[in-house]
Amino acid sequence: MKQLSVFIENEIGSLAGVTSALKENRINLRAIASFDTPEFAILRIVVDQPEKAHRSLKDKGYVVKMSEAVAVELQDQPGALDGMLQVIAASGLGINYIYSIVIRDGKVPLMIIHTDHLDKTAAVLKANGYIVAEQEDI
Amino acid sequence: MIWNETKECMSRDQLYNLQSARLKKMVQRVYHNVEFYRKKMQELGLEPGDINGLEDLHKLPFTTKQDLRDNYPFGLFAVPQSEIVRVHASSGTTGKATVVGYTRRDIDIWQECVARVLSMAGVGPLDKIQVAYGYGLFTGGLGLHYGAENLGATVIPMSTGNTQKLITLMQDFGVTAIACTPSYLLHIAEVLEEAGQIDNTKLKVAICGAEPWTENMRKQIEAKLHIKAFDIYGLSEITGPGVAADCEFHKGLHVYEDHFIPEIIHPDTLKPCKEGEVGELVFTPVTKEALPLFRYRTRDLTSITYDKCECGRTLARISRFKGRSDDMLIIRGVNVFPSQVEAALLEMGETSPHYLMIVDRINNLDVLEVQVEVEERFFSDEIKQLESLTKKISHVLHTALGISVKVKLVEPRTIERSQGKAKRVIDRRIIE
Repeated sequence: MKQLSVFIENEIGSLAGVTSALKENRINLRAIASFDTPEFAILRIVVDQPEKAHRSLKDKGYVVKMSEAVAVELQDQPGALDGMLQVIAASGLGINYIYSIVIRDGKVPLMIIHTDHLDKTAAVLKANGYIVAEQEDI
Repeated sequence: MIWNETKECMSRDQLYNLQSARLKKMVQRVYHNVEFYRKKMQELGLEPGDINGLEDLHKLPFTTKQDLRDNYPFGLFAVPQSEIVRVHASSGTTGKATVVGYTRRDIDIWQECVARVLSMAGVGPLDKIQVAYGYGLFTGGLGLHYGAENLGATVIPMSTGNTQKLITLMQDFGVTAIACTPSYLLHIAEVLEEAGQIDNTKLKVAICGAEPWTENMRKQIEAKLHIKAFDIYGLSEITGPGVAADCEFHKGLHVYEDHFIPEIIHPDTLKPCKEGEVGELVFTPVTKEALPLFRYRTRDLTSITYDKCECGRTLARISRFKGRSDDMLIIRGVNVFPSQVEAALLEMGETSPHYLMIVDRINNLDVLEVQVEVEERFFSDEIKQLESLTKKISHVLHTALGISVKVKLVEPRTIERSQGKAKRVIDRRIIE
């Protein structure tokens, strides 16, 4: 699963700057999460056309990085996320960050997980019965 | 009180003769001992015998900070190493410091000049003075220290950095005088005010310098602390603090002309300015043994008057400084050049070299923020890496500049690129 990370300053209107660039290019946002510090923030997004979004944001002058993350289906029941996190922790993997995709045309939500070892994370989750989503699944 | 009435109040004619004699001897000494100047004089077709008095001063070549750097560290010294008893240094633009040296007699003259300053401010042997300039390579701390000892005052060598302790000792010891930067003194005043202790000290006089300040700031200090505040000026290349200072009439800073001959020139044409006209201040330290410089360009802009002062001194006075003819900033008493920031960023190589320096005065303390553009190839999508980059830049800049720096990462191309010379500095401090 491809995600984009965008560097933005903590300024009024900085998020809107990114979303308007996406809108201009008719790119659909699937997930958005911002991780902020007092001075700056990293905005992470999942979109329907990652390459196009990457290009258009770069053209606007943003610093953007396209990277991979693991997307896992999450069942709507108590303890579902906990079970998933227990599996990851038990295999000695540390999570760098996590956020979610909720809007999926009637399908269950996806959790986006980033670790230092993405392949191993996906493999461990699959081995424990979780459904790892591919790019075309969103 | 006038510390050295013979010198500080001598007639202009006598002074002219004294300066001429000293200049003549200096040129002889320099020509025979400093290769750099000998070559320069030879290129100009000048021989020591061509300089017979003050009227010939204009024939000598100028000296710039770059000349000191080019001859780093000791290339311009005019005496053997065995006669050098001390060196001081200030940070340089490309990592190389500007190094200055002193013979024992140079130190004596320096402490005589500082004693004149302190005496002019009403400080005497009965006073207890806290020296709250940095001690070390910077000339501020040791310069004031030796001058105050020479005067016979009780010196408390505080140095900088611990305001609470400074205040405690000020109260416990009954300190009557302080030497520090004006912005630091205002900070001290504020801390005292907050603690409700502003009238609970015996402080009566402050000698402030090492950074530009205004007449308003001086009045503010006097009103807040109920003391008298005086301005002291100097630069390490000439000797350190004590080159000039103001008297109780505050109508310009008296220059100790018997040791440091001032000139005011147009920075572009290098031609002399008329009396009262603003130009660049140039000094020739005629009695200096270790580092005698010809016509050193200070880059400080001011004007000069030779009228006798109401205080009785006949020494010329320079006006409050109007700025600089280069891009040097003085932040918390430390000389900072924008090119130092650029060099440090380029050397580090983990950011774009586009930067903006924002200098502000918050709670009377100078604060330097450096904004640096994040660059694609160094962008990590992890906060912790960006934060460690911020810390690293701030460490690199602290090392290069000698002052702490707040680093802010900004989006690319947000720092204004102007045609030609980019705007690299925003100085929000109000200095007028």
